[in-house]
Amino acid sequence: MEQYAVEMLHITKRFPGIIANDDITLQLKKGEIHALLGENGAGKSTLMSVLFGLYEPEEGEIRINGKPARIKNPNDANDLGIGMVHQHFKLVECFSVLDNIILGVEPVDSLSFLRKKRAREKVMEMSRKWGLHVNPDALISDVTVGMQQRTEILKMLYRENDILIFDEPTAVLTPQEIDELMQIMKNLAAEGKSILFISHKLNEIMAVADRCSVLRKGKYIGTVNIADTTKAELSRMMVGRDVKFAVDKEEARIGGEVLKVEHMTVASKQHANDAVKDVSFTVRQGEIVCIAGIDGNGQSELVYGLTGLESLKSGTITLCGKNITKAPIRRRSRFGMSHIPEDRHKHGLVLDYSLEDNMVLQRYFEPEFTNSAGFLKRKAIRSYAERLIEQYDVRSGQGPITMARSMSGGNQQKAIVAREIDKGPELLVAVQPTRGLDVGAIEYIHQQIVAQRDAGKAVLLVSLELDEVMNVSDRILVMYEGEIVGEFDPKQVTVEELGLYMAGAKRMEVEA
Amino acid sequence: MKKTNNSLIRREGVQTLLASLLCILGGFLIGFLVLLIIEPKGAFEAISVILKNFFKFSSGRSQLKYLGQTLVRTAPLLMCSLSVLFAYKVGMFNIGAAGQYVAGACAALFFSLYFKAPWWVCILVAMAAGAFLGAISGALKTYCNVNVVISGIMLNWIMLYITNMVLSTDGVKNPMSPYTIQIRGNNPQGLLPQLGLQSLFSNEKSVTIAIPLAILMAIAVWVVLNKTKFGYELRATGHNFHAAKYSGMKERRNIILTMAISGALAGMGAALLYLTGIEEWETTISSVPAMGFNGIAVAFLGGLSPIGSILSAFFIQHITLGGSYVDTTYYCAQISSLISSLIIFLCAFVGFFRYAIQSHLRKKDEAKLTKADAVKGGTDV
Amino acid sequence: MILLLQYTLLFASVLMLVALGGCFSERSGVINIGLEGIMTVGALGGALVMKFLPVEAGGAPLMILATIVASAAAGMLFSLLLAVAAINFKADQTITGTAMNMLATAAATVLVKAMNTAASGGSDVSSDIIYTRARDTFIVRLGNFEFNWFMLVALIALIISYIVLYKMRFGLRLRACGEHPQAADSVGISVYKMRYAGVLISGLLGGIGGIVYITAGVSSWKFENGVAGFGFLALAVMIFGQWKPIKIALAALLFGFFRALGNVYTGFDLLKNLNLPSQIYNMLPYIISLIVLALTSKNSLAPKAEGIPYDKGSR
Repeated sequence: MEQYAVEMLHITKRFPGIIANDDITLQLKKGEIHALLGENGAGKSTLMSVLFGLYEPEEGEIRINGKPARIKNPNDANDLGIGMVHQHFKLVECFSVLDNIILGVEPVDSLSFLRKKRAREKVMEMSRKWGLHVNPDALISDVTVGMQQRTEILKMLYRENDILIFDEPTAVLTPQEIDELMQIMKNLAAEGKSILFISHKLNEIMAVADRCSVLRKGKYIGTVNIADTTKAELSRMMVGRDVKFAVDKEEARIGGEVLKVEHMTVASKQHANDAVKDVSFTVRQGEIVCIAGIDGNGQSELVYGLTGLESLKSGTITLCGKNITKAPIRRRSRFGMSHIPEDRHKHGLVLDYSLEDNMVLQRYFEPEFTNSAGFLKRKAIRSYAERLIEQYDVRSGQGPITMARSMSGGNQQKAIVAREIDKGPELLVAVQPTRGLDVGAIEYIHQQIVAQRDAGKAVLLVSLELDEVMNVSDRILVMYEGEIVGEFDPKQVTVEELGLYMAGAKRMEVEA
Repeated sequence: MKKTNNSLIRREGVQTLLASLLCILGGFLIGFLVLLIIEPKGAFEAISVILKNFFKFSSGRSQLKYLGQTLVRTAPLLMCSLSVLFAYKVGMFNIGAAGQYVAGACAALFFSLYFKAPWWVCILVAMAAGAFLGAISGALKTYCNVNVVISGIMLNWIMLYITNMVLSTDGVKNPMSPYTIQIRGNNPQGLLPQLGLQSLFSNEKSVTIAIPLAILMAIAVWVVLNKTKFGYELRATGHNFHAAKYSGMKERRNIILTMAISGALAGMGAALLYLTGIEEWETTISSVPAMGFNGIAVAFLGGLSPIGSILSAFFIQHITLGGSYVDTTYYCAQISSLISSLIIFLCAFVGFFRYAIQSHLRKKDEAKLTKADAVKGGTDV
Repeated sequence: MILLLQYTLLFASVLMLVALGGCFSERSGVINIGLEGIMTVGALGGALVMKFLPVEAGGAPLMILATIVASAAAGMLFSLLLAVAAINFKADQTITGTAMNMLATAAATVLVKAMNTAASGGSDVSSDIIYTRARDTFIVRLGNFEFNWFMLVALIALIISYIVLYKMRFGLRLRACGEHPQAADSVGISVYKMRYAGVLISGLLGGIGGIVYITAGVSSWKFENGVAGFGFLALAVMIFGQWKPIKIALAALLFGFFRALGNVYTGFDLLKNLNLPSQIYNMLPYIISLIVLALTSKNSLAPKAEGIPYDKGSR
């Protein structure tokens, strides 16, 4: 019997100005869980696109079960028994779970009328067999993220795929759901399915994978047996140097209260329940307070309420002694609030504006940049942008006149950080400031945030990454289902303990 | 990527111009084919008549006179295209410009004929009427989430019927015909002043300050959009509504204001046509005047730039009037509308044309780069 | 009263056909502002058959069939313009649709005028087509009520649309393309093909709607006027009907009623005594749709991916 389910040998894929995959080899054994590790931009998704026939590689060969394969589109991949759970689920929201599972391989009669009964029986049977609980008639928009993911897995199993690819599957799950998923993956592997697990989370790879292949900047670094390696070695392979897991920082010098939130309640756009329920907390000068939690537990809405993007249902917000509960966004900004938003493309930047125009997005109306007749002072804007670009090392093709859209994610984020910090805020609200960035940019942004704290500013950090939560913050607040369920000192709490609170398994009464 | 050479074709403006010319060429080509199908004999003749317009007159004097007539009708078209492009820059497709134009016509004619108001009052009320209609669309968008295109379409028809009703009032409508009475005879001070401009165009009596006014408005629109804080806000709102909100701009107010300004521009366009006294409103008309829709064509053909609009408005009006000189034994004047609608259809492909040009350039660059690489012996990323 | 019912049903048939057409296009993810133009071209196709096909040739059945086929074919052919632009070239769908509306009227006018001019040797330069005799074949008199075969056509279209959209594989796939084309693509459905199908069906139904509209009350049509905004009204019906066939049918009946009122209000003493200008009745459907849209658009049920060109490369 052939040993390998998938072999991608010496794959090279070039794009204009970049070699996304440079001689990469990946061999997935039958029945194993194989991790594919790399930073953002390391070439993981390009490699998968090659496997699914979305890109044609310039060089290299793909073999499936030992036979050379020509994969021209996702259908070919599917015919070869390859299925994938995408990081962003490919589910139609207003369809039922069942409809989503059968879409593309619908059972029909001779007149192509749908025959859903048979399909439902098959789905229910698979659901029982693998412990993948779903409600086939519920609409996707009404079910939990966990069930959506189970739907995706059932989609692959329904098609009788033997090679299963999971692309960053744990980002949206609670620790308990992650454990469940790990167990499901192990069961599937035990039944002979071959699993490729794409991730940048070392703990999960250590927990579930048999072997791990590492990519860095488009190049193949190597493949190791998990049993013979350590987290430190894996991270060295991924980043190319030793990574300090800890962020250097001095003891916090805490000053007066900057932000006081009392009994904040924010309505939800999706559900009848409130997204943020009666939340109270403070942030003081010289400390970084971190709001931790699984995605979707009200953190975004808390920030929207705090920054004025949405209005509160009830509660008060006080910034530097001034009541800003009902203040419009701009007044909050002028009272000393800066906001590094969660989604830099949606909120943070006007992508079709030049870098310089984005640099003054929060200040263009100030006399420094607009004269009394309402005309922009172009020269002043240019020199201001040039200073920020220099000072914060924002790299771009054409300097201040570069379109924001054409910049890399890391530099876009640096531009936002520069703009928000240079405003000289009393309170910096940073929401997932390092999402999707490589290690170098992450370290830089962490340094900037810590520098703000050391300069005596108050920082509110919202993060989904537990490593970030543990390393950067001075105080941790855990949010679960719209409430703050725990407050911790990062030096005195373990990740496991935090996980229990994040999952709602434990809670404490928190005094504001 | 290293510094690319800055040849002409890499300029955005040049690419847009090229794309627009392609649209025009395509429109005429297909129009020509249609003529050939109808009657091959006169096809070439007809196309050249359309393209020549006033140049068909031999004497310089008449050429000037008819150039004047073309310009007179260019002014309202230009205003409509400014209306469309202003809204488009803020992210809205103002198909309602047609209705706002009708609103302007209604207000201008009613005030002129019923109240005998002077021309400048009529222009102002026309702008106000257009602005009001535009603001309704804007408000429906911000407060009720009604698509601007849909509300614009509905308002176009509503406004058409309202106008027919209002302008049928006694003392405004000619009792003998479905048309409104003439301004010239009934309210001379309602006519736009000429300020001697007519002398430049062989004393063509329809030449008024409408022409310079429209051009001034085009320049004003350009300045507001590109040089002011207000324009910065509006364009930011158009490109990214959420980012505008995030940075504290009053994004809802901006949308309503934009639609109001856009409406005012279209309304003013109507005033600039009807207050010259060359045309009366037909109160039994059962379709929305094409001027507003043509404004869409002009705006896109002009590459969504106010200055480009001046040229494209003139061009579209030029061929429209040219169409009226076509030999009617074979063809009809609507050949011109056919060609201009073909041009606007092709304008929808402008993005594609530009994409094609750019990717062609990129490929050229790549080829160069790879060659350079080969010389250097391969590069890192 | 019977007249009112008759016109209501007729106009509702038109609106239903066209709105269902729009529904297929938008469900597949392509906004179809060009319905007005599609109707015009469909009407032209049908009217030409009615003008030139002798009634004696095959009697009513052949006439009806030929007219429907011609309208549908013309509508589909014209809708290809939208399909090619929106799907292959990723052009802005609103601009394309607007251009199509202008194009349809201009092209129909040029064509009919050229025809009339040629046929009359230059004395008739109108854009009218007259089809009095052919029109009579569509109508069956049941007492005072004139039953029009097109009413049945509309009903059949409604039933088939419902079944296709919700009970058949094609409908499931079509709807997936309008909601989440990437998902559809990832399970091997060709988004381009589905969208082509959606747009072409809208051409088919829109084309038939066009001929029904121009034969509804009159025996000749002036093509310079296009279809006088009825395509836009159908668009409103579709939105009001939330892109669902049954609701579209109900909305069509409601709008058809108000439109019919404009035609026959003089027959009711009560309305006649109000002495309102006819313009009021003409604008009534538009005003109502605007109000309804204002009240119902907060939570739009529009297909999520409509209006967004699908690019295989970007995912």
